[in-house]
Amino acid sequence: MNWGTNMADQDKELDQLFAQAREARDVFPDHLAVRIETDAEAIRLTRAVPAKRRTWRQRMRGIGGWQGLGGLVAASAAGVWIGFSAPTFLPDPVVYFTSQETTYLMADLNLDEYYLEDAE
Amino acid sequence: MEDLTSYPNTTHGRSSAVPEPSDEALLGRFADGDAAVARLLTGRLGPRSYSLALRMLGNRAEAEDVTQEAMMRLWKMAPDWVPGQAQLSTWLYRVTLNLCVDLRRKKRPDALENVAEPEDGTASVVDRMQDTARKDALQNALQQLPDRQRQAVVLRHIEELSNPEIAGIMDISVEAVESLTARGKRSLTAILAGRRDELGYEHG
Repeated sequence: MNWGTNMADQDKELDQLFAQAREARDVFPDHLAVRIETDAEAIRLTRAVPAKRRTWRQRMRGIGGWQGLGGLVAASAAGVWIGFSAPTFLPDPVVYFTSQETTYLMADLNLDEYYLEDAE
Repeated sequence: MEDLTSYPNTTHGRSSAVPEPSDEALLGRFADGDAAVARLLTGRLGPRSYSLALRMLGNRAEAEDVTQEAMMRLWKMAPDWVPGQAQLSTWLYRVTLNLCVDLRRKKRPDALENVAEPEDGTASVVDRMQDTARKDALQNALQQLPDRQRQAVVLRHIEELSNPEIAGIMDISVEAVESLTARGKRSLTAILAGRRDELGYEHG
């Protein structure tokens, strides 16, 4: 290599050296790629271990977090309490399914007549 | 210093004509547990980190260690990456530069300007250094630049990044990048001209 003696030549030759360096730049050793990918897999597997915890947290978020869980518990408790100590002025829904009156009530509807009317 | 022009070509080059997801999108998929994207990201970003580290350090083994560590930090920070905050390549270049500076300081805390000098005065060492320097005169001169000038010159003229990109990587203004690059090129020219006789070049 002949290094120029004036500034213009030296700048041009420096640019040529940069160009040579760029040509030699785009190489990457395979064994380094393997090392890097091995690291990546190790990190990925490390993160995969606490998957159950993340799933549990996701479920919590799905019901609105701790506030949502508290509301759900309170609503459930209220439902149980209402079931055991309903106000006296409310009809007992169990009667509709168990007493004979329910049968009479259904009979009074005379469904047969409606069916006949429809048939006509 | 090693001859940096004789590394074998590999399949992990950065060029690709097929449109693909962005680096940031791939990192997000990696954070979600997609194992396959690690190879893609390694192929895209690894060569950039390695090329920069190799030019900054002039040593293949050290450049490989720096690249591996930079990519390791990439994998680790993947879940914390905020999309749109910055380009992933900018982050990686910055980490690579910092690792290179740390490594050089650990090795030579008080002699950064004399890295190209022979360690002893034997003829065989001088001959070997001349031979190496002839093969890569630019690398020899780069090693003698101050860290910041070398960073700016390598990013601008070898990695071919724009001045705003370099400013983002080095966390300085565009004007400061231009100044560092210009001073670096002047220093390189002076070093190369001054070492012409020492390296055994013929006068042109």
